[in-house]
Amino acid sequence: MRIRKELFADERDDDLRLVGQPVRRQDIEGHVTGRTAFFDDHSVAGLLHLRCVRSTQHHARIRSIDTSAAERTPGVRRILRWADLPKKAHNILTIFDFGIDDEPALADGKVRYKGEPIVAILAESRRAADEAVAKVRVDYEPLPAVFDVEEALKPGAPLVNEYIGRNWFRYWGDYDCQQIRFGDVEAALRSADLVVSGRYQMSPIEHAPLETQGCIVVPAEDGRFTVYTCTQGLFFSLDNTAAQLKIESNRLHFVGGTVGGGFGGKVDTVVEPLAVLAAMLTGRPVRYVFSRAEEMQVSSPRGAERIYIEDGVMRDGRIVARKITHYHDAGAYSRLSTYGTIKSAAHHPGPYTIPNVWVDSWCVFTNRTPSSAMRGFGVTGGDFALESHMDVVARAIGMDPMELRIKNAYRDGDMKAHRKLTQGAALVECVQVAAELARWPLSEEARRDSSRVGGGGERARIPPTPTARTRAPGSTGTGARVEPARLGTGFAASEPRRGTTPLPGWTGGAGFPSSRPEPPRREAERREPPPEPPRPSTGGHGAIRFSSVFGSRRR
Amino acid sequence: MPLEVRSTPTLAEAASLLQAERAARFLAGGTLVVRAVNEGDVSFSTIVRTSDPAFTRLRTAGGRIELGAGVTMAQILASRELAFLHPAARSVGGPAVRTMATVGGNLFAPHPYGDFATALLALDARIRLASGFGAREVSLEELLRGRERTPRPLVASLSFERPADPAAFRFRKMTRTRPKGPAVLTIAAWLPLSGGRVSGARVAFGAMAATPIRARAVERALEGRPLSAEGVAVAVAAAAGEGDPPTDPIASAWYRQRVVGVILRRLLLGEP
Ligand SMILES: Cc1cc2nc3c(=O)[nH]c(=O)nc-3n(C[C@H](O)[C@H](O)[C@H](O)COP(=O)(O)OP(=O)(O)OC[C@H]3O[C@@H](n4cnc5c(N)ncnc54)[C@H](O)[C@@H]3O)c2cc1C
Repeated sequence: MRIRKELFADERDDDLRLVGQPVRRQDIEGHVTGRTAFFDDHSVAGLLHLRCVRSTQHHARIRSIDTSAAERTPGVRRILRWADLPKKAHNILTIFDFGIDDEPALADGKVRYKGEPIVAILAESRRAADEAVAKVRVDYEPLPAVFDVEEALKPGAPLVNEYIGRNWFRYWGDYDCQQIRFGDVEAALRSADLVVSGRYQMSPIEHAPLETQGCIVVPAEDGRFTVYTCTQGLFFSLDNTAAQLKIESNRLHFVGGTVGGGFGGKVDTVVEPLAVLAAMLTGRPVRYVFSRAEEMQVSSPRGAERIYIEDGVMRDGRIVARKITHYHDAGAYSRLSTYGTIKSAAHHPGPYTIPNVWVDSWCVFTNRTPSSAMRGFGVTGGDFALESHMDVVARAIGMDPMELRIKNAYRDGDMKAHRKLTQGAALVECVQVAAELARWPLSEEARRDSSRVGGGGERARIPPTPTARTRAPGSTGTGARVEPARLGTGFAASEPRRGTTPLPGWTGGAGFPSSRPEPPRREAERREPPPEPPRPSTGGHGAIRFSSVFGSRRR
Repeated sequence: MPLEVRSTPTLAEAASLLQAERAARFLAGGTLVVRAVNEGDVSFSTIVRTSDPAFTRLRTAGGRIELGAGVTMAQILASRELAFLHPAARSVGGPAVRTMATVGGNLFAPHPYGDFATALLALDARIRLASGFGAREVSLEELLRGRERTPRPLVASLSFERPADPAAFRFRKMTRTRPKGPAVLTIAAWLPLSGGRVSGARVAFGAMAATPIRARAVERALEGRPLSAEGVAVAVAAAAGEGDPPTDPIASAWYRQRVVGVILRRLLLGEP
């Protein structure tokens, strides 16, 4: 590998000691010699094993649950149900005052996806727990299910999640989706030489860690609980477990260590709350570990995303309008999809300067396995669509796809659709280097282009913007929520609902909250801010380069 | 009930234990049985295994090749005599699986597994069953047809005629991922030629029905034909009508039916 040090040399101390060097992973010796300790390597005496009875239905009301035979199974010590839960529904973002508590840790009288836990069995051995699980009889009344994001948004679609009250998540109090409005897309589409549209569909993707999710909880004499866990977010999971059990967080001692594969798949905190509750109720140490089949079926995957793109293109290759509708399939519960949807909107329209941009990004509920974080969720799906579409556009106008990207790439000083000035752009150089390595012929003009020239000026302007708000079909704005109590017996309303307050800023990946951004102003109140003065192009790269959508790395 | 493991010194004793206990499962290489245990399968509570030396014996000396049911894919790959079977053995899982996976277990591995069984079907293998009261032989086809019946018979060994011309045996497995993966479909064929024409063909399809099957219409259409583009045309056309392919996460029945003729033609014509 060769590092192109001549690029941006003035912005970088030339002290790269790791990039381009073979480096031995610090943990590799333990892994290949089998000495790395994982959470499940803690041997604890007197352990109870927790296994869940899981829904065989995608969507059903539960008429009754017969656990009598399971209770008589030798070795069974206790069966946990929804009634045992201190908090009846939870979402892992509500500890930051964002979102809605919409998921019961055990079924609340209804199941909303196949594999949803209904009751949890605690037994002296894994085998005894499995035998008891097989003996639980659940009487289901199947309900119509919906598996497609666009079907779910239609009036009359089966209501998936009563806590949410509609099949989409409503942002900032009164927006049916995350929106970006920049310039007049409709007018630009009308005056473009060509309109190129595409539909892009992702499938759910499972992280498939070698170590399935799990934890071991050990109660201590002082009323505290030690939790050995493979969570990726130790204190995030600790706080969520405390919130869900309604206990002080100082009663929990979380012990992490090596995570046997994560990639975003181990932040949902689904095993710890049940296991700690089980340890509280039995006074015994408890082990709850997903089987491989559970890891594949019920641990949350990267969600299915469907993306529609409509580009207005000029014959010379300029993209003058980009209109995007992005649907995130959250599955039956929010988990982190509400946040992933925001990320997708933050990423569109990709690293291009397009004078007219319109984005609607929807977080939609269906009767599929709840989806959640996976490295770059929200962004990866969008990039798949955006970059596929760039190739389609190139073909449609008979232009080289690399040249098309260079032509439309953002330059330092350009105004982005999110009303931020571009800093530290490097797409032009990336494409140039990629083309060179692939021996892809570029025109002289494209080879001489730079991220540092041509930006700003007219391109730093915020265009006049009509701000129409998108409504879901049949949506009434601040509409009535269907109360969970509507479900009838065995189902009580959850905690008082938290307001849909803003999501705190997150720093890169499935990370942790830092500061809380200002809530965006309502469209109606919004007046366009005066355009910021373009940065001088000399030294325009400044001291900050963006390391991810939200995070920035200060040098 | 805790899981009990019972080891027996002879195949006959293992067979008797399996006969006597409905909730017993025979363990060979364990690539599927142990996975079931790990996943919490409670349909059996006893595991039966055997240390009978005959179980893992591989005999390539005589006119018939004889494989103990406990012979592993790795053992086959280590045998130079069985070079013509290496593509079939190598098609089963990755190296870790092949180290444990047995030929006997492959006969009972559910769809889409059974790649080696497909090869054995084209070789017209005979199966020796162990029982408490002595041994009995059946054809592989017969065994596969009744393999879901309980109590399941215990396979002691299997045998097939040593091929006079190993080049007459051909094997193809189509997967979605390479170099390994579950079968979209598998084809094994025994294609002896006499005067440039096929005589006595046996063609087997894997993953085209609930178990590996013989493709009889294909075999009939090949009889007396040369292995040329025109010669195989009727057989290729007949391929889609064989079996009743399942739809699963690997491929749809529709796709399997459409692609089987393509793979068969490539196999018959020796195309890549
Ligand atoms: C990751 C992975 C990849 C795989 N890939 C493939 C593949 O590509 N192709 C393929 O064909 N298979 C594949 N398999 C399935 C399996 O490994 C093979 O089919 C293997 O040959 C099964 O043999 P075993 O000895 O491990 O069977 P076991 O797990 O020991 O037994 C399997 C079944 O057969 C029964 N059984 C075993 N031996 C006998 C006997 N002598 N008599 C009667 N019943 C018996 C057992 O009771 C059990 O029901 C794969 C499995 C895994 C886990």
